Amino acid sequence: MKTIIEKKQIKEWLEELKKDFKVFDVRKSVLPAKQYLFPTKEKTFVFNNKSGELKTPENNKKDFIVFGLDLEDLEAMTQLDEIMNTPEPDFFYWQRREKSILVGLVDYSKDILPGGDIVLQKINKNQYKIRVLTEKGEQIRKSKFFKKTEDLKIKEYKKEKCEFKKLLLDPELLHDAVKWSKDLKIWDELGEKCLGCGNCTYVCPICHCFSIEDRVGLDGKTCTRCRYWDACTLPEFGEVTGPPTPKGEFRRASGHNFHKTIKERYYNWYYHKFVRAYKEYGKAQCVDCGRCHRYCPAGIDIEEVVIEICKTYISQTK
Amino acid sequence: MQNIYQPDKVKIIKIKKLSHDVKLFRLATPKLITKPAFATLRRGDGGLAFIPGQFVLAGIFGYGEAPFGPSSSPYKDSHIDIIVRKAGTVTTALHGLKEGSEIFLRGPYGNGFPIDFMKKKDVVMVTGGCGIPPIAALTEYIIKNRDKFGNVYLIYGAKKPDDLLLKDKLKEWEKDIKVMLTIDEPCEEWKRCVGWVSDLVSDVKIDHKNAVCAMCGPGPMMKAIEKVVRPLGISDRRIFVNMERKMQCGVGKCQHCTTGDKYVCKDGPVFNFDEIDKNWD
Repeated sequence: MKTIIEKKQIKEWLEELKKDFKVFDVRKSVLPAKQYLFPTKEKTFVFNNKSGELKTPENNKKDFIVFGLDLEDLEAMTQLDEIMNTPEPDFFYWQRREKSILVGLVDYSKDILPGGDIVLQKINKNQYKIRVLTEKGEQIRKSKFFKKTEDLKIKEYKKEKCEFKKLLLDPELLHDAVKWSKDLKIWDELGEKCLGCGNCTYVCPICHCFSIEDRVGLDGKTCTRCRYWDACTLPEFGEVTGPPTPKGEFRRASGHNFHKTIKERYYNWYYHKFVRAYKEYGKAQCVDCGRCHRYCPAGIDIEEVVIEICKTYISQTK
Repeated sequence: MQNIYQPDKVKIIKIKKLSHDVKLFRLATPKLITKPAFATLRRGDGGLAFIPGQFVLAGIFGYGEAPFGPSSSPYKDSHIDIIVRKAGTVTTALHGLKEGSEIFLRGPYGNGFPIDFMKKKDVVMVTGGCGIPPIAALTEYIIKNRDKFGNVYLIYGAKKPDDLLLKDKLKEWEKDIKVMLTIDEPCEEWKRCVGWVSDLVSDVKIDHKNAVCAMCGPGPMMKAIEKVVRPLGISDRRIFVNMERKMQCGVGKCQHCTTGDKYVCKDGPVFNFDEIDKNWD
């Protein structure tokens, strides 16, 4: 017996869910689903200046739902889970992750799914099949909008195979090519083109670098240690002996930047995704969601860049 | 689940001025020692508080955190010493504190010098300026286990004589190991070596097949490798370098401290030189 939901009833189902859960719909959001588990900025400690007490804020006591992850997003979340569990579980990420139910919405009819807790899988123009993948997904498996049926009208929906998708299946080649490409001219060109705005990392569903910053309350009684999204393309990313103190006692005389130029920083982004990630997890940290290209103000197409590098690598080394 | 970013409150029990812009802070750390072992914290045998070369993150709320390699003996579990040069936001704030103030500390993190591998070998330690702390901790460890090591040399350089830190310690160590000091530019009161010169090499008597080198320091240390360590015949694999990068999380997540394929915080901060020599950054 299979469970299905009519396409037009998904909206009503969401309304029903909203009675018990907080529901975040990521179908049209610019930032990926990671923002609900690893927020753009979060408090990690609150320090009371008077009592000297240090408190860890408790986040999200209630379960919540992230709705509408597509196939790439589901895979990205699985990768992010792995990253946030290595080498030690990240306390703040898992605090939220344990309370979250990821609901996928995919138009892909193959049986194997890359992640998520419960997934709505398109089987024909009007219907979605319900697939419960985890215990957390079980929590919301019952609804008056779900119908049991034996007779499924399944239409095959496949993902179109693009060149870059195929390349992602060969992380070893990507690793070798990107590592080898360090001195290619293309990086000089990209260094000129890239604005160093950090957009690509913010919209990436897997990018997860962060910085830690202290914020003092206006009354000076409390201080909050926050962590916020950073981007490896920003100039401050590798800069030490940082900005001057408010009194201006220190001037950036001895400051040192480990990644001085945009070219170095931009290369570092690729290096992390395709080289370091391969060494750490055996796969590329890219799922071909296309966001980084869509939101790049300089119009850099990452897919194109990687394909070109791989082609040059193959033609010049083999 | 353990909050891996949780720091401990520690008290500054002593502050000592080491040079015009460097101070030593002695931190009472009973809690650090009793803390349940963190997976990346590999506490050495024989009750070491940390392994020389590991680092701690010291922070002041309102200013931030910065990494420091403790310089005190790893056998001391009542306190650790950190050496701080006034340079950026956190270090300037630290310099403004008085004895008795409280700061926050987490760690120790990372992998220290391979002290077991170094045993029964000749050891050459090379460092410069503010790179002395982890080397100082290593020296303390070696002196405590002096019979387990062969000939031990400490080559320590700085810009000016004033920049040579821990002068009283250097005198103390001279009883047990050979200490060689050098400065960058000649000056009147200085009667010893100037620059990374071959004199340093000719005075070092080691069996290069059974010797290791431990290093820590800024960019000019590369020059020391060329001028001093390589001429001694020590292979790159036996040169252990304590690296430095921008540090934020300290536990291998935030991506700031990477060098090539490695994270300085969890794979280092001590690396074989041949592991990192070819890294593009």
